[in-house]
Amino acid sequence: MALAVGGCDSQIGWLGRRNAGGGGFLDASNRQEPALSGNGQWLASVIERNGRLSLLLQRQPDGQIVPVRHIRGHEPHSSPSLSWNGRYVAALVQQGSQRLPVIEDRASGQLVRIPLPGDRTAVKLSLAPDAQRLALELVQGGQRRVQVFDLSRMLEPDRPADLVERGGGPEPSTQQP
Amino acid sequence: MTPGPLQLATAWATALLLGGCSGAMPVPLPALNRQLEQAGTSREPALADRWMALISGRGGREQVLLLDLQRQLPVPLPGLNRPDAQPLSVAVDDSGDRITVVRQLEGRTELVLYRRSLASLQVIPMVPAGVPHQVSLRADGRELAVQVSRNGLWQVDLIRLP
Repeated sequence: MALAVGGCDSQIGWLGRRNAGGGGFLDASNRQEPALSGNGQWLASVIERNGRLSLLLQRQPDGQIVPVRHIRGHEPHSSPSLSWNGRYVAALVQQGSQRLPVIEDRASGQLVRIPLPGDRTAVKLSLAPDAQRLALELVQGGQRRVQVFDLSRMLEPDRPADLVERGGGPEPSTQQP
Repeated sequence: MTPGPLQLATAWATALLLGGCSGAMPVPLPALNRQLEQAGTSREPALADRWMALISGRGGREQVLLLDLQRQLPVPLPGLNRPDAQPLSVAVDDSGDRITVVRQLEGRTELVLYRRSLASLQVIPMVPAGVPHQVSLRADGRELAVQVSRNGLWQVDLIRLP
């Protein structure tokens, strides 16, 4: 890849780039809020289809769509975030009248709900690549504030050495941090 | 009235108890969250390893902030923040060296790559032309995904970085 790298406030040129459309209906749909997994092998985004905002998870680079089962049905979705190997998919979903942060463990099939105090609304989240921390942007009394949570007692870490492709989660020898 | 740290901790504890789930629950990080409370408004968090990038504001001016979560301290970002720039979205890599920012500056919206080790700032052009909006960075900082407005449609571009 040929690159033109400059100094301060310069412009990068000749970068390898592509549209993440994936062809078909995706190319003609609004896609928002992209989130790459830590290893770059998964891309989550929010797609607008039939007026509904739904989370879309794609393997990269082939763009194959992979279902995220437990989040479905709680649209609109927003603010997706992925762990290192894409084992965990975090997003804001609609539950009743509340926007609720949830994390789907694609290895175990479990859905973890993060409860919020009633006077706070979540508008954005970020899951750390190792899935051991979660940052939430919350609105309370018109003010936006970020709050950070430790998830280490809830979720197994998802780190570069861990594998999820077998569907059963990490091997016992790789579960410990 | 802004609630104090004790009220906040109580609210979270109540919510977590009312969550009703069996098993472990998320644990708020009180010292860090208190620091964020005192820093003014904060939004657009992006976690990576020991780092959290976010947009922080006080008195109507917002800037990109990088927090070292282990030391619970902000890290200097010389040459990144400008008083006439409005950051919109931010992402950081696992090393805490590469930070990508979508910002408005002099009437245009641009995507920039900041390298902390070099204190360098480079504009990443949108090709074909488009207006960037939100950015995500791979953990090694070598690829980004950006939401781009193009031809009346929101699209997602994947861009490899040097």
